[in-house]
Amino acid sequence: MKKAYVRFGLLLVLIFSLVACSGGEEGEKEVKKVDKTNKDVTIAVSATLTGMDPHDTNDTLSNSVQKTMIEGLVGFDEEMNVIPVLAESYESNEEATEFTFKLREGIEFHDGTPFNAEAVKVNFERVANPENGLKRQSLYGLIDTIEIISDYEVKFTLSEPFGAMLNTFAHPAGGIQSPKALEEFGKDVARHPVGTGPFKFVDWRPSEYLEVEKNGNYWKEGYPKVDKVTFKPVTENGSRVAMLQTGEADFIYPVPTEQVEALQGKDGIVVDSEPSIVVQYASLNTMKEPFNNPKVREALNLAVNKEAFIKVVLNGEADVLDSIIAPNVQYYEKQTPYGFDVEKAKELLKEAGYESGFKTTVWGGNSSTAVKAMEFLQQQLAQINVELEVLPMESGTLSDRIWSVENPADAEVGIYYGGWSPSTGDADWGIRPLIGGEAAFPPNSYNVSYYSNDKVNAGIAAALETANSDDRAAAYKIVQQEAWNDAPWIFLATTRTLAGKRDYIEGAYLLPDNSLSITEIEIKE
Amino acid sequence: MEMTQTKKEQYEALLLEEETVRSPLSEFWRKFKKQKLAFVSFIIILFIFVLAFIGPYITPYDITEPDYENVLSGPSAKHWAGTDAYGRDIFSRIIAGTQISLFVGLTSVFLGAVGGTVLGLAAGYYGGWVDRIIMRICDVLLAFPGILLAIGIIAILGPGLGNVIIAVAIFSIPVFARIVRSSTLEVKSTLYVEATRSIGARPSRIIWKHIFPGTLSSIIVYFTMRIGSAILTAASLSFIGLGAQPPSPEWGAMLSGGRDYLSMAPHVTLFPGLAIFITVLVFNLLGDGLRDALDPKIKE
Repeated sequence: MKKAYVRFGLLLVLIFSLVACSGGEEGEKEVKKVDKTNKDVTIAVSATLTGMDPHDTNDTLSNSVQKTMIEGLVGFDEEMNVIPVLAESYESNEEATEFTFKLREGIEFHDGTPFNAEAVKVNFERVANPENGLKRQSLYGLIDTIEIISDYEVKFTLSEPFGAMLNTFAHPAGGIQSPKALEEFGKDVARHPVGTGPFKFVDWRPSEYLEVEKNGNYWKEGYPKVDKVTFKPVTENGSRVAMLQTGEADFIYPVPTEQVEALQGKDGIVVDSEPSIVVQYASLNTMKEPFNNPKVREALNLAVNKEAFIKVVLNGEADVLDSIIAPNVQYYEKQTPYGFDVEKAKELLKEAGYESGFKTTVWGGNSSTAVKAMEFLQQQLAQINVELEVLPMESGTLSDRIWSVENPADAEVGIYYGGWSPSTGDADWGIRPLIGGEAAFPPNSYNVSYYSNDKVNAGIAAALETANSDDRAAAYKIVQQEAWNDAPWIFLATTRTLAGKRDYIEGAYLLPDNSLSITEIEIKE
Repeated sequence: MEMTQTKKEQYEALLLEEETVRSPLSEFWRKFKKQKLAFVSFIIILFIFVLAFIGPYITPYDITEPDYENVLSGPSAKHWAGTDAYGRDIFSRIIAGTQISLFVGLTSVFLGAVGGTVLGLAAGYYGGWVDRIIMRICDVLLAFPGILLAIGIIAILGPGLGNVIIAVAIFSIPVFARIVRSSTLEVKSTLYVEATRSIGARPSRIIWKHIFPGTLSSIIVYFTMRIGSAILTAASLSFIGLGAQPPSPEWGAMLSGGRDYLSMAPHVTLFPGLAIFITVLVFNLLGDGLRDALDPKIKE
């Protein structure tokens, strides 16, 4: 009996101490108008960095950090347009098989090695060679020969036409590293990145921090404007936000959508919310009943209230998806949204012979957002008597069940909730892996809806055979129309990139593919 | 005359004495009533049981009907505990969830208690290699922290409430087995058991008629205490997505759904959290009270 009192007492003490703690935080917040006295910046990110070799990493986050040290021939601006970086200018032939770059002169790597055509050749030969077993080989596998025309001019020849090649060069994986470092460190270069970027590598303790310092010798006049940048992986959303609130971090991303409203404009915090190129959708297995019936797919699209989806699941930080790719992706063509019409959806189901609805399952990840999204779909589809079982899975299990399919007809997946971010910013990578016919079926690629339409397949192929923008745009226009009308997905939303920063930070921003650019970062007085 | 007087006195004294010798049940009740906290807990538990039965019929709102115009609104006269991320009434969902938590808690502990009791009786009575095998297996199971073992079992069986019950039952078995075994050993050495054995009663009869009732009090106490932790474990498993699946109003699942909104809408987690807290607390307090009332070693 006494023990019970003691337990109860302890609980009360615990509760009060917790309350006291939260009170303390608020007190701190009020004093929290800290003056920034040094020129050091701390950036809290959402995951552990996987490596610093751009040729051998495939996560956007690590790529973002690499970009502070290692630059490519070309890159992306804020809207994902290709811009020259280490190349001064570039041109390609009409057939999209030859790409020639004129290089900027007088640039040195951090270790003093001069940047020239030889360095470019060494880098792309490294990443394109399958024998090296680098993760990004597939992006550059088409490169057949690399020819040094002069010290500052280099020509790439592809084994077949590839219209999206320029965007592929702009991908962070096309970063140029010091040939000397590549030779000296070998595979270990992932821990000793040496490039031409605005910052030099200092130290990296995985799961703790990665530190870079100012490159005093940077080729862009007047940059960088800060002395030191520290990246800290903070996986817990709440802690990351707290770090920004207390001033421990100057910049964080992503900001959890739930917190945007609570943070925006308070205590010197600014949240930047910009359209991304990430699409959120629920793919429908078009080889399987009842999703093989176009009427059913249309009905499902009509039964989901997209505005409510954005409001409830993504806290308003998204826009309605109106094509198979997002507006910021090259060659995007707006389609007429399906709208929200439960009556019409019911009628379509009736016509398709599913008057009393049907039962099916939705698969997806087990992050709280994914679960929320699937639960939302469950509620929406219940309106047309479609009983949806929600099955959140741990990511390993999920990819196992989706991508270990031998025969497409045996694929178990019905509805799959997922997202896609085409990091090259080109329509090709936003379309081909997801709906590019049989060649993209799992396990080869990500066509989880097992969608194959001859017109779409032909359009995708045609667009790759030329580097002419008008021809490519025309081809992708047809592709997008066809895919939209066939509805292999329930089209949901394009999310927004969310970065939180203290108000004295400028020049740091997220690109639409959720990668970070801090070349121009500065601390305002 | 003198003689009769003494006899009468003796008889009266005997009568008086008889009055103080009560049946075990009334003796228990007398002691139990004195445990104020446990008694209050008992009343609350009765209330929770009633709620579990009538809950689904008295909820003020439909527990699955979303209201997207009214998401995450705080407690108000209309929604006593506010609404969740889909605009569903949290108060209604907590009431409807009572049934689930109580059912999971009771069933899993009951299964665990049955399994553990049978094993414990066998181990205690027969001793020797039976004892050794059973208790070593129990030791191995006990070496795992309960929740970890449950997660392991769920990993094999797959997520879902039914499997949570099995998982919690399995990790309750060794604890019951151990407790029952030790009481069995104690009861086994008493004179009346010895007597029964010497007149040639079958082992099964000795175990069920003579030993099992002797172990019952410790089983009851532990049963009550265990319900609290079983409810907590089930809620934890649902919290990490291994138990109840949406849109089930299981308390742990509700907590999990609200954790993203902790800073801006704490009521979404607060109320299911309180429900779990109170339920677990009253079961534990009742268990404490029962132990004090049932244990003959504790003097008043």
